[in-house]
Amino acid sequence: MSKIAIISQPDQGVLIDVGGCASMQEAVSHLSSTLQVSSQFWKGVNVALNLGDLELNSTQVAHILALAKGVGVYPYQVFAQRAITREALSEHSVNLGVGKPMTLPAMTIKVPENIEIPTEDWEESESGFEDQDVSIFYESSENIFIDEEVPADDLNFAPPGVLADQTASTTEGAENSAPSITQASNALGAATAPAAAPAKATNTVVPASNIMYLRQTLRSGQCVSHKGHLIVIGDVNPGAEVMAEGDITVWGSLRGIAHAGVGGNNDCEIRALRLQPIQIRIGDAFARSPDRSNLVSYTAAIGPETARVVDGKIKVFRFSPG
Amino acid sequence: MSGRVIVITSGKGGVGKTTASANIGVALANTGASVCLVDMDIGLRNLDILMGLENRVVYNLVDVVEERCKLRQALVKDKRMPNLSLLPAAQTRDKTAVNSDQMKKLCLELKAIFDFVLIDSPAGIESGFQNAVAGAEEAIVITTPEMSAVRDADRIIGLLEARKDEITQYRLVLNRIRPKMVANSDMMGVEDVLEILSIQLLGAVPEDEDIIISTNKGEPVSGTDNTKSGLAFRNIARRLRGEEVPFMDMNAKNDTWVTRIANFFNPVRV
Repeated sequence: MSKIAIISQPDQGVLIDVGGCASMQEAVSHLSSTLQVSSQFWKGVNVALNLGDLELNSTQVAHILALAKGVGVYPYQVFAQRAITREALSEHSVNLGVGKPMTLPAMTIKVPENIEIPTEDWEESESGFEDQDVSIFYESSENIFIDEEVPADDLNFAPPGVLADQTASTTEGAENSAPSITQASNALGAATAPAAAPAKATNTVVPASNIMYLRQTLRSGQCVSHKGHLIVIGDVNPGAEVMAEGDITVWGSLRGIAHAGVGGNNDCEIRALRLQPIQIRIGDAFARSPDRSNLVSYTAAIGPETARVVDGKIKVFRFSPG
Repeated sequence: MSGRVIVITSGKGGVGKTTASANIGVALANTGASVCLVDMDIGLRNLDILMGLENRVVYNLVDVVEERCKLRQALVKDKRMPNLSLLPAAQTRDKTAVNSDQMKKLCLELKAIFDFVLIDSPAGIESGFQNAVAGAEEAIVITTPEMSAVRDADRIIGLLEARKDEITQYRLVLNRIRPKMVANSDMMGVEDVLEILSIQLLGAVPEDEDIIISTNKGEPVSGTDNTKSGLAFRNIARRLRGEEVPFMDMNAKNDTWVTRIANFFNPVRV
């Protein structure tokens, strides 16, 4: 899991957390790549910065601030634990963060230990990281259809009326609470809302208003996490990671790793126009893509799909409107 | 049990470090040894893709070093062989995420579990390389028969020599040889490269289209029987285990129908 995170909450703006980085160089390289991820996105957003445990002198702080300034980010507060760093920040008349910075809950995936006993004879140590123990196969979408496989009751379908209201408020809420973030999302908000409709979009614990829109393709090595629902308008390439406490919607191709319901909410969903992830994780469930014996064809399209947890396993459903 | 920690390095990028790591790892595991492949190319990880294990990676080397998970949770067991494991690199971090002391500690832990710990080094001679060699006792230097790659290999050998207290043995793998070009003097041959580098040869691997296919499939060629490059990597593994294996004949000078027939009756030993 990455040690840098973009965490956003409507009432607190956006927090860029580089606190997990081991060194100044790492913090700087992550910060610059994070800021580039979404240079469009930063305009007019309240940004806080968490420097965590890093020990930085005045020059280094100036370097980081200059980096942020380059893409129009002026942190309104900066969190830092070390006295030296706090002193350096004061020199640059930066507001020090008050209280605790926002954090994402820790990943709760249960991965058993790969090799149980260091036996000298490997043939005998049968126990280990076998697929049947952990991985729930991310099944091909060809043969699973929501209507046939799972009774509607099991999925807690909301009555149509309620659904319509909920989706409406979801979209509306997003625009009201974080207008600066959702600038160009009217059409997209409307477009993504119906995708949620056939599922149980209503019973996730994340407030409907807490949505981050990211209009950017995420490339290998880039990582975005959000304390709420995350909507990426663009692709998530192999090697990139998206994490959210709530649902993840990718208006594009999802080919990297997506983790919805970080913190253990198994009711969350991952949906994408093209769902071709390496792995998906929802709450504490984990699924990996099937092994392929041939070159992966990224151009073969199936259409919009949704992944959700059914009976503790992640299943993928083809999205069909109505 | 105390295994051998071997770093696979080259200086120059694109000469086949990762391909060689995957193939030597698979070949060693095929000989019955327990093997751990460690991807040290943090931020640009590829080894998991070559091994076809990308979809199984949950935790990685940086998670282990920063104690977010146990070593055994991060190890990904190979889908073909139970005695082969991969410790993947982190993709969303960079080379500064670990330091030499952490790598030394990790290598000690790994060699207590495995017979062979193969470390796939990143390109370059900076911190990533320094960390990759930190815990190693042996090195395999990979190069191709190109002036630039040989020059970089020479630089790497110099850096390894400077660590001769820790790294006791370093040997060369010459990768991607095209015998026909060597025959036409358009490419350096094994002898030419050895002349410059004056280092013990561990193996010579011919250029092989099967490598591309195997990379895409995530199945290293050394696990299959009928490829030239796979055979070369299997020979390397046997030499690593101390066997005397004659070197492949890369000489295509006498490739005429007469010699072909002669070779048919008296096959070239490989």
